[in-house]
This record gives sequence, C-alpha cells and structure tokens, in this order.
Amino acid sequence: MKVSDVFSYAFSAIRLRKLRAGLTTLGVVIGIAAIVALLSISQGLQDTITIQLQTGFATDTLIVSTGGGLGMGLGAGGAMGAADSGFSLLINDTQTIDELENVSMSVAIIQKACYVKSDEKSLIRYAVGVDFAKYENVYSTTFEAESGEIPLNPENETVIIGKRISDPWRNETLFCNVNDLVEIIWTNGTARPPKNETYAGHVVAVLKEIGGFSLFGPSDFSVYIPISQAQSFFGTDKCDVIIVKLENDDKATIESVSEAIEEAFGGQVSVTSSTAVLDIISSVFSTVEIFLAGIAAISLLVAGIGIMNIMIVSLMERTREIGILKALGMKSRTVLSIFLSEAVIVGLMGAAIGIASGWVLANVVARVFSGGGFMGARNQAAVSGGMTITPVLTPVVFLGALAFGLVVSVIFALYPAWRASKLKPVEALRYE
Amino acid sequence: MRTRVVETTNLKKTYMLGKVQVDALRGVDLTVEKGDFLAILGPSGSGKSTLLNMIGALDKPTEGKVFIEGVDVSKLNDNALADLRREIGFVFQFFNLIPRLTARGNVELPMAIPGLGKTERRKRAEELLETVGLKERVNHKPAELSGGERQRVAIARALANNPKFLLMDEPTGNIDSKTANEIIELVRRLNEEKGVTIIVVTHDQQIALQTKRAVQMLDGLIFEEKVNQHESK
Repeated sequence: MKVSDVFSYAFSAIRLRKLRAGLTTLGVVIGIAAIVALLSISQGLQDTITIQLQTGFATDTLIVSTGGGLGMGLGAGGAMGAADSGFSLLINDTQTIDELENVSMSVAIIQKACYVKSDEKSLIRYAVGVDFAKYENVYSTTFEAESGEIPLNPENETVIIGKRISDPWRNETLFCNVNDLVEIIWTNGTARPPKNETYAGHVVAVLKEIGGFSLFGPSDFSVYIPISQAQSFFGTDKCDVIIVKLENDDKATIESVSEAIEEAFGGQVSVTSSTAVLDIISSVFSTVEIFLAGIAAISLLVAGIGIMNIMIVSLMERTREIGILKALGMKSRTVLSIFLSEAVIVGLMGAAIGIASGWVLANVVARVFSGGGFMGARNQAAVSGGMTITPVLTPVVFLGALAFGLVVSVIFALYPAWRASKLKPVEALRYE
Repeated sequence: MRTRVVETTNLKKTYMLGKVQVDALRGVDLTVEKGDFLAILGPSGSGKSTLLNMIGALDKPTEGKVFIEGVDVSKLNDNALADLRREIGFVFQFFNLIPRLTARGNVELPMAIPGLGKTERRKRAEELLETVGLKERVNHKPAELSGGERQRVAIARALANNPKFLLMDEPTGNIDSKTANEIIELVRRLNEEKGVTIIVVTHDQQIALQTKRAVQMLDGLIFEEKVNQHESK
C-alpha cells in the first residue's frame, strides 16, 4: 500500500472520531506547550542574564577575593561568600598584582551596605570605594555618566550614584541628582558601642542605566566614593575584592595570571574569571532547563499513556475491520503502519499546536514577568533590575518539541499497533 | 484438462472451545476447477465455514493440505498468505464493509493494498459497481445502503483484484428473499458470463439449485456430492 494511501486511511479513521482524536491530541498539545513555554522562557532569561552579565563583567577581568571564592552576588553588592581565613586583601595589594605579566591594571574595591540620605528620605544601598579612573578603564561601557562627569582626580567629598539611586522608583521622581548633597551612613559594628559614621558628599555624576546585575561591576544600585575616602570612612586598609584587568581575554592568559596571583598570595586568595562565572551560570541554567523540561516531559508521558489507552480501545473496536483488511490481503506490517500513522498524525498535530500555544504562553508569561507583574518595575529586588525577558524559541527546542511529540505518540502506539498487526484474520473476523 | 483452482486432501482442523476439543474438519477431500460454481451445504456446526476459512487462507489446517492453483498453503508464511488472499474474493454474510468509506472507497480498498494508482482503481471501482447495478450509489456509505445493496458492494469489492475464485459465506443470509434472488442471479451471471469460479457456503437451497455442483457436509466430513441438472443441459 502506498504511503499516501496509508496516511489517507489512517486520517479517515481519526476523522470518524473527532472528539476522541481531539482529546487525545489535547494531551500532546499540553505536554508540548509546557515544554516549549518553559524552555523558551528559560532560554530567554538565560540570554538576558548572560548579555547583562557580559556587559557588567568584561570578559578580560579577574576577580580576586579572599578565602573560598565568590558567592554569586546580586547587585554590585553581592554576597562575598568568602570563608574567614584570617587573611585579608589590602588595597595596596594591587601593586603586587600590577607587576604580574599580562596584567593591565588592578582596582581594589571596598564595599559596605549603607543608608543613602537625601533631604528626609533614605535608601538602603551599597557604598563602593574605588579608584574612579581605573574603574572606568576596566568598565568603560558601564561606568559611564548619564549626567555630570566622572572626575579622574576626584575631590574628597565626591559621590557618583547609580541610576536607581537617582531615580529609585522609575517614575522621574528623583531621590537626588547631580550637585545634590547626599549623606552616606554606615554602621561601624566593630566599635563599642556600634557607631553610625556619616559621609557627606556632592553628587558629581549619575551613571547611565545599566540594568541587570554583575559581580563587582558598576551597578544601578550603588553609590561610589573615592577609594581614599572609603579607606578613612570605613576605617580600613582592607578591601573586599580586587578586579584585575588583563591584557587580553585568552584562556591561556586567564589561567596563567590566575595561577600567578594565587602564587603571589600564597594560595590565600581565590581568583574567579568572568568567563568562569558565565560558564557556571550557563551550567546552572542547563540544569534548570533539564529540570523544567523533565517536569514538562512528565505531562507528555501522561499524554502518551492516553494515546496508548485510546489506541487499545480503538483496536478493540476495530478488530473486525482489521480482520476485513487482512482478508482483503493486507500484510501485518501495513496494518502496523496504519495504526502508527494515526499516532504520527495525532503526534504531529499535537506538537504543532503545542509549539504555537507554548510560544504564545511564553510571551504572555514573559510580559507579566517583565512588565509589572510579580517582579514588576516598581519592585526593587535586584534580580528584576529592569530586566526584560524575551522568550527564545531556538531551532533545537522547536525541532526537539516536534520530534518529542512525535516520538512519544509513536512509542506509546507501538504496542497497540503491534497487537493489531498480529491479529489472526479468522479470529478478528469472528470478533464481536 | 481443466485447471484445478482449489484442492484439499485429508483436511483436518481441530480447535479448543474452552476446554473442549472440537474436530471441525475430519478429513475433507475437495476439488474445485476453474469456472466451477460450488455450493457447500450443511447444518450449523458441520464445518462448512471452517472449510471456507481454510480454502480462503484465513486459517491453517491442523492436518492435511490445501492447494490453491497447486501452491501448498500450509507452506506459506504470513506475507505470502496475505499476497494469496489478495487473489481470492471474499463475500461475507454480514457484508463486512468499512463503514466510513463510500461504496467506491470500499471497492477501491483491495486495489489500494497492492498499490494500484488512484485514477486507475477509481475507474475500475466504478465499472464494478456498475456491473453489480450500483452505478448511482457510488458515493453512498454502507449505512445509506440497503442490505442487498451492501452485499452488491461486497461482491464488487471481491471482484476488484480479478480473483482466482470467489468465496461466499452465506451471501443471502442477512437479506430479504426478493433481494436474495437478485443476488443469486447476479452471482450466477458472474459465473456463466464472466467465468468466475465461485464457492458458496449456504443454507439457502435456492442458491444451491443455481450452482453447478453442491456438496453436503456433516460433522466435519463431506458425505454427499451432487451435480445439478442444469449444468448437464
């Protein structure tokens, strides 16, 4: 029998029981839609985060911290996560690092949580002490002024603020602006009794909006003061991390400099490359994607069992028909292919509708997620950070979903189809 | 010498009905030649339908042989049996049409199985339906046809692949007597005018009288064979 005739015959059988076929297909639609929606949102989220991290990270940088490495920070003030080994990085350690081969420059960063006060209002933010000139050099695309100017030789009371300090509510109601006087209040917990230290300075620049988050890169949520001021304000020579700018971002350079830095500090420091962090994030997302796809796949498996169930019922109803077909000279493999074709049609229709529905669902969810829903614009949680998620339907997800829908349908139809093909004509004709 | 289309030798069939062993056929020897019109008669349980299934390659014998045009059916595998069945035309008591297909679709089906082109099989299906007097009913589904019309469709379908012979199992068993007469007449004409070899299992003495030959079965054996008079005319 020609393939077209097999499909035509299979289609006529499906058409006869429209409601049943529709419900069977619906199972596949739901499974595929769930897979497509979850994966395309997750892919979109990953792309958004990766782009934002790449912007904030600069791939030719290393982050030197003490102890066991970096926790995954959100906002400029990420969790440090370093175990306290008694060793501390000093601001002057940049000199040691600067002397290493392939190192272009290094920037020490002191970072503390603080209150930022302007008039009667206050915000909880991070105060970051850096060398403005060097920091701008490392993060030339993000440490950039939207208004005012970043001073290369800052005066003592200079302050640079991130966009979400100037306009924290995203509604043009400014908390402070260039030339305003702001107070940074930090609680010195080591003093007895704990004491609030206040640093008052004039805003000389507001950074342009960066969005997203980064590790020790410029952030919309930080207030920047000169490193020398931070030293006296926080009463310390210690820094939290040192950002190292390399001559290039070759893997070999990253590895050799990382080793050299670790050696220079007797193994007391951890060196994290931006690319390594991106790799970790990518790996985390892969795991999350597999997890999400797994959950969605379960619904598809349920759909598969539905297909099997329906086909077994259909087989019983059509036993006599199979007997007739065999009496007319149809071979077992043709009977098998007719039943499998029915599964192929259901699987393909289900997958096609499922992909379309999943894509629509992903866009709706992404819009809610990005545009004022539970992680809305007014929510100042660092993770939202003005992030817009655009669902991404990659060819792999598209073809994978199509193939998966098809394969699940066919696999679950194999047993009933095989049983149909093995029916003996004389017994099938006698079936009532 | 006339060609032997069907030959059975010492044909036996035993099957289990629950825990009871049933000897449906107990050694049947039968020969059918080309152009023959044979009636197999007998009461229920005499083994006539079982014999029909063996001759139609729908079932395999427990013992003995069935030859179709000299080919030993018991030596054929499933695929070869399917190929053989394509060359046999079946007509069943309950029509056994595919309900969702039209009359034409049902007649086309056996031609689609070996892969005949759509145009060709459509043309032949219409010709066959015209032969059985259903030219105007080609697009009707079985549910829209009377019992007699359905049986005509079944006969047209049986003729679709130019079979070596027609096997008819109680072809008038499910239709009224007037329509049954029309069907008998149609079958007789097919045999006389087109030379189609026909084996018919029936209770219907009317059909038996129209055939060239009749065998009577009882308890899985042929006990009487009769040549009808009109053939000797």
